[in-house]
Amino acid sequence: MKKIVLIFFYSLFWRNFLKLIIGLNYINREILFKSKQFILIANHNSHMDTMAIMSSIPIKNISKTHPMAALDFFGGNKIKKFLMRNLINATLIDRNPELQKEKPIQIMDDILKKGRSLLLYPEGSRGISHNISNFKNGLAILIQNNPNIDVIPVYLKDIHKTLPKGSKLIVPFKCKIIFGQPIQFDSYDLNDILVKSQCSLIELKENY
Amino acid sequence: MILDIDFSSPNNLLVLIIFMILILASSVFFIWKRIQPNALVDQMIKTTQSWWVMCFVFLFAILSNTVITILAIALLSFVALRELVSALNINIDYRSSVFLCYLSIFFQYFFIYKGWFIEAIIFLPLFILVILPCSMIISTCRKGFLRSYSFLSISVILAVYSISHLAFLITFIHLDNLSSKSLLLFLIFLTQINDIMQFIFGKIFGRNKILPYVSPNKTWEGFLGGLLSTTIIGCLIGFLTPFNYYELIVVSTIIAVLGFLGDSFLSAIKRDVGVKDLGVSISGHGGFFDRIDSLVIISAPFFYIFYFLLEL
Repeated sequence: MKKIVLIFFYSLFWRNFLKLIIGLNYINREILFKSKQFILIANHNSHMDTMAIMSSIPIKNISKTHPMAALDFFGGNKIKKFLMRNLINATLIDRNPELQKEKPIQIMDDILKKGRSLLLYPEGSRGISHNISNFKNGLAILIQNNPNIDVIPVYLKDIHKTLPKGSKLIVPFKCKIIFGQPIQFDSYDLNDILVKSQCSLIELKENY
Repeated sequence: MILDIDFSSPNNLLVLIIFMILILASSVFFIWKRIQPNALVDQMIKTTQSWWVMCFVFLFAILSNTVITILAIALLSFVALRELVSALNINIDYRSSVFLCYLSIFFQYFFIYKGWFIEAIIFLPLFILVILPCSMIISTCRKGFLRSYSFLSISVILAVYSISHLAFLITFIHLDNLSSKSLLLFLIFLTQINDIMQFIFGKIFGRNKILPYVSPNKTWEGFLGGLLSTTIIGCLIGFLTPFNYYELIVVSTIIAVLGFLGDSFLSAIKRDVGVKDLGVSISGHGGFFDRIDSLVIISAPFFYIFYFLLEL
């Protein structure tokens, strides 16, 4: 049932809305079809980012892919929480360390161990457009623990124009979502992983 | 009924001509590829395939009932405006004004659909003069006002004002023994033929550049060849218009010249912004606005030529 809702919400509604009204152009989307389980890492400038990425995920994987969302921001009341879990397919994470029952890294690791996929914004919160800031350490720990899972960089170009931070008005602008090849890590040192994954995202940004 | 097919009517004769040209082009390129395969032919085959799709969509949109035609032209305006606004790099602090520009499409085509001539004519000039600057002034942004204002107004003029005159042709001109869509077919067919002929003559005979600073691919030979063949073809498909041969020659020449200038106008804008095409929507053609760029100057004058001729 949840899968049908998700397919309807993302693959039908959002994909067509983004394509036809907003003018989103999916580039190299076929990369997603090649891997069964993946960690998507993307730059984050707008709430539209999650919609754009989730709408491009193949139907067979859509219910198995979870975006991460902050509990204090998105889980304000019960209705919001219910919608986030069932319509967005998000996993809510408490950012306040005192209230955490389980560490966020542990939650994400469990999801990966169950054979499910993650969508992460390693910059943390919504950053400045045209600028990829430093990645957070959690990503490296996650990749270190699960070396067999494909890490796919996703660069979102100009999507922040359609819905910038602090705005509620959606305005169509042509934009692009670019998928890169899964990252090949040479060493699984924490720092190397961070540098490598950040470089691959910057590379995508510069090539398109 | 959505489609009314009557093969004695001028519109359907033109449909027949269009498909014959397409079949001819496809078979020529097919044979050419067999004899001498190269990159140019592959490109041409791709372009022709897009032409097939475009012709089907375009003819369906035009020959359906009037509401669908107006909706299709409004959609064209929307896509063209989106391409322009995205390419011109407008300060995103003025996004609410950009939103109003999108909204103006709705009002403009609503007036056209209702047949309110005065409203449809004055709405966009007033929009650019009053609503657009007011909305920009009350937004919190202080930087790049003039730049964003001129970019937005030029986008509205090119994408909405100019293209909406195609819909004016259907709603506001009533001919005695012709369907109101014949003129629209005549205009669009002739501008596109002009583009193709300019391209063909330019490729074969092109030597002397006509506008080296704006559009280096355009040549005198292409322009004159296009002008000549457009005039001849314009006379041949004169059955779509109420004109006699002298008038047809004049109108076809105007269409060819203004079509060429419209094409160059958009090239100049694109060159200034630093992009080659405004989009990638049509394979082998670029964006939607790249395909209809020759219409931007001609559509409004063409409408007023008819409007005043019929008033006389």
